[in-house]
Amino acid sequence: MKKPLLLISFLGIIIVVLLLVRISMINSISTTGIKLVDIQNEIDSYNKQNEILKVKYLQAAAYTNIASKAKKIGYVPVKSDIDLSAPLPLALR
Amino acid sequence: MNWRYRFTLFFFLLLFALIIIRLFYWQVVRAQELSAIGQAQYDEQVVSQAQRGEIKTSDGFTITANKLAYLVYANPKVVKDKVSESDVLGKLLDIKNATVSALLSENKFWVPIKSAIDNSVKDKIDAQKLPGIGFEEHTVRFYPEASMAAQLLGFVGKDESGNDKGYFGLEGYYNRLLSGKNGFAIVVHDAGGHPILAKMNDSTVKVDGRTLILNIDRRIQFMLDTELKKGIETYGAKSGMAAVMDPKTGGILAMSSFPEFDPAHYQDSPESFYANPFITSAYEPGSTFKPLIMAAAMNEGLVKPDTRCTICSGPVQIGGYAIHTWDDHYSPNTTMTDVIVHSDNTGMVFIGQKLGLNHMLDYLQRYGIGNTTGIDLQGEEAPAIHPRNEWYPIDLATATFGQGIIVTPIELLDAISAIANNGKRMEPHIVAAVQTPDGQTISIPPKIIDQPISQTTAQVMTQIMVNAVNNGEAKFARLKGYDIAGKTGTAQIPVAGHYDPTKTIASFVGFAPANDPKFIMLVVLNQPSASIYGAETAAPIFFTVAKDIFTYYGIPPNE
Repeated sequence: MKKPLLLISFLGIIIVVLLLVRISMINSISTTGIKLVDIQNEIDSYNKQNEILKVKYLQAAAYTNIASKAKKIGYVPVKSDIDLSAPLPLALR
Repeated sequence: MNWRYRFTLFFFLLLFALIIIRLFYWQVVRAQELSAIGQAQYDEQVVSQAQRGEIKTSDGFTITANKLAYLVYANPKVVKDKVSESDVLGKLLDIKNATVSALLSENKFWVPIKSAIDNSVKDKIDAQKLPGIGFEEHTVRFYPEASMAAQLLGFVGKDESGNDKGYFGLEGYYNRLLSGKNGFAIVVHDAGGHPILAKMNDSTVKVDGRTLILNIDRRIQFMLDTELKKGIETYGAKSGMAAVMDPKTGGILAMSSFPEFDPAHYQDSPESFYANPFITSAYEPGSTFKPLIMAAAMNEGLVKPDTRCTICSGPVQIGGYAIHTWDDHYSPNTTMTDVIVHSDNTGMVFIGQKLGLNHMLDYLQRYGIGNTTGIDLQGEEAPAIHPRNEWYPIDLATATFGQGIIVTPIELLDAISAIANNGKRMEPHIVAAVQTPDGQTISIPPKIIDQPISQTTAQVMTQIMVNAVNNGEAKFARLKGYDIAGKTGTAQIPVAGHYDPTKTIASFVGFAPANDPKFIMLVVLNQPSASIYGAETAAPIFFTVAKDIFTYYGIPPNE
């Protein structure tokens, strides 16, 4: 009679231990969803900031914007080019 | 005692029967409904929106991008102080207070106030902490260069289902490539509404749209836009268009047309502005057509540059019509070179008589006249040329100098490019490469469509066109020191069965440097009022842009 009692007790202990392990594991991963949401929100926030910065960069680098700003501060287009293909002789008598 | 056993048995049987009936009711009769309610509690279908592909110019600048935008909405039942909120929102959103107030007074849980507001406005509204006001995030197309190349790019609107769809230009032609494919995911939530990691089920993965890398050179596009706009204003034209192409590859370097529209606010412009006239509007090309006919006759060995015209001493009579030169000045025994230089219509009639109808139509076919060029833009049109049996002698005569025949500007530009490219005609192309979301670049190779004329003919014709620039009507505007091949065009516009002498389409087509062309350009002005002639309106625009391109490419003058 003693042997089956021991075996049953042993199995019972194993079951209890496994249950405790399972409970502890479930407990440990139960907040993963919350962490996942936090990480996702952080990624979204960085992506948004990148998008906003990209738009600002494109606006600033657009030729139409540069041309209008240059005009505002008084720059004017060059009317004539100087080409160096036929240089004048330096000592022209 | 027996009745008690029976009663207990009956009682339990009844109980089981009731349970089975109830289970049947839940699991069979109301199964679908309850399943849907259950799924709504823990399942959520998340649509992962595919990002629309961007469009970049050849220098890598994003000329069409995506921008975060917001829809401002209100829950009027939560808004307490409607007057002050209307006042604040009206100022920040640039809407009349009365309009906002009317929206906030509606007996609804959700009313949209304004869509497509940008981040800075959203932040300002957020800072006010207005109760009952919320935002919905979405993306809109953003054009950093505003209306530059608007008709080339097209715009993004909505289809019947409310989804984004590209219309006109590149957005329309490459809509499928740019759109990508939305992804769908089922996310299972716990009782607190948090997603359960192990239960996340990705049913389909989104595929972002592809990015287009264009042959368009932003600097040349900007120069062309600026000068064409200035030219239209200076010469009082109703409208105008121009394009620059690399004749060796068919790559379109720039394409402009005015009046324009803002693709970000396309609804504010008339629909007639959306189509790109360079690929859709048909016109009689006038004298810019002459080099094509001259090259065809030379290619057939029917004339040479020094061949003399035997019918050029006065107006030529054909089928009851008298064909005059543009200035009524006649040069007997003029050479073929001078026919182009002085844009002599009677000389072209002489060439037409030598060439004959069959050769003429064969060459028109090989130049691509009457057919679409295959340019990668939505809406290209090609007016058909008359069938062979409907041509009369007068039609053949007038077609030699570009009247009585209609083409689109892209057809003419592509046909003339054969002269610039040693006789080979390339397929014009806007997109140089397509980039996949994973960064892989797929190049689109140049494509030869036809070789209508030989290399020798092309070289001889080029020299004649250089002569036309140096000694023709537009010589006052030419750039000294550069070999530019070109031809002016002044075509009268047919109005109610006759040509109106005061209304013309003025144009100039040319390429440079003549011995090794880096670009070919066509400028077309519709009804300029300062002068009716192409030499005095379109040609100066051509030479101004050409000068800028020489400086940009670092091409020095040869004198």
